[in-house]
Amino acid sequence: MNFLIRAAAIAAMLHITPIVVLVKRPDAVQALLPGADAYVAREVHLSGTDAHRLHEAVDWSPEDGVLVFYGGTAGSTSVGALEFVRVDTPHGPIEVAVGFTPRGAVRGVVVTKATVEMKPWVLEAVAAGLTDHYRGLKPGGVPGGAAGIPGRAGNLAVYVAGEVDKGVARALAAYGAFYNHVRA
Amino acid sequence: MLYDLRRADVRVKWLVTGLLATLGLSYVFGAAMVALYAGFTPQSVAATYAGAEMSMPMPPETTMVVQRPMSMADFAGPEVHTVDTKLLIQDTHVHVPMYGLIAAALGVVVVGLSLPRRWALGLIGLLFAAPWLDFAGMWLTKLVSPRFAIVTIAAGWAMGVAYLIVAALAIHQMWLSRERG
Repeated sequence: MNFLIRAAAIAAMLHITPIVVLVKRPDAVQALLPGADAYVAREVHLSGTDAHRLHEAVDWSPEDGVLVFYGGTAGSTSVGALEFVRVDTPHGPIEVAVGFTPRGAVRGVVVTKATVEMKPWVLEAVAAGLTDHYRGLKPGGVPGGAAGIPGRAGNLAVYVAGEVDKGVARALAAYGAFYNHVRA
Repeated sequence: MLYDLRRADVRVKWLVTGLLATLGLSYVFGAAMVALYAGFTPQSVAATYAGAEMSMPMPPETTMVVQRPMSMADFAGPEVHTVDTKLLIQDTHVHVPMYGLIAAALGVVVVGLSLPRRWALGLIGLLFAAPWLDFAGMWLTKLVSPRFAIVTIAAGWAMGVAYLIVAALAIHQMWLSRERG
């Protein structure tokens, strides 16, 4: 009986809670591509070699081997691009939207989805200024959100900030290697 | 038999009733969660578990780009909740032990019911087979054919029906039967 109770407790602790939308995608798009009035989806279908290269760089393979960038324009002027990146954690997935300026620097980061369990950690991390730490980063840079908020947020918020760092690192690696370097 | 729920101490009956009520509540919300994230039709379950992996299993020889225009409405469109292989591994890892414990708990209730041996064996078999088939259906949908979504749907209903049979028999025998102690 003791074993059963312990096993039930462990199983309950490991149970992944459902995913909730923190910021709707259209709202994230408007925040990260401000002023855009036309959009294009740029799907990069990675070859086996390129997928392996990306995996070696950031320990990640995009779903179905396809990177999707969304570009925005205002009239004939580019406003930038953004990516939605999923990070699988032991507590379930989170989704991070990373927006880039036309010059290739991070304009902003929005956490769009998390599990019910992680939602308060994400909100605490964001309230502690997590996303400010990514602004201006360029491909090759190292996201330091988790290192930037201790003292202003609890341990779980710092933990989830580390997962957001992973998402930003993946977006930077994908954008740097594949956004402008493969012809449509 | 020593363990007979009809003649069990009222404390045991109260414990079993509490267990059944709690599991019933979790089943109701489980069904609500399925409705939110996977749906109850073979098409929606197949879309959740088979995903795009069925349509493009091989990467191209060289990296290629496909561009298409988007409108803001496209960003707002309903998103299909998908479960890829990694997430299904994680789901199987965390759900199957819990399903096993629920089946075991309901099986212990079945052992205390006054039922023909064959019925009890069949009911215990159903309690364990339904979650097995549930996850088998998800994996077969992902790896073999979206048509196996029907297995997951049937197994999900079987879990609910098995629970209802156990709960109805237990409540009847413990609290309503004339032969109760």
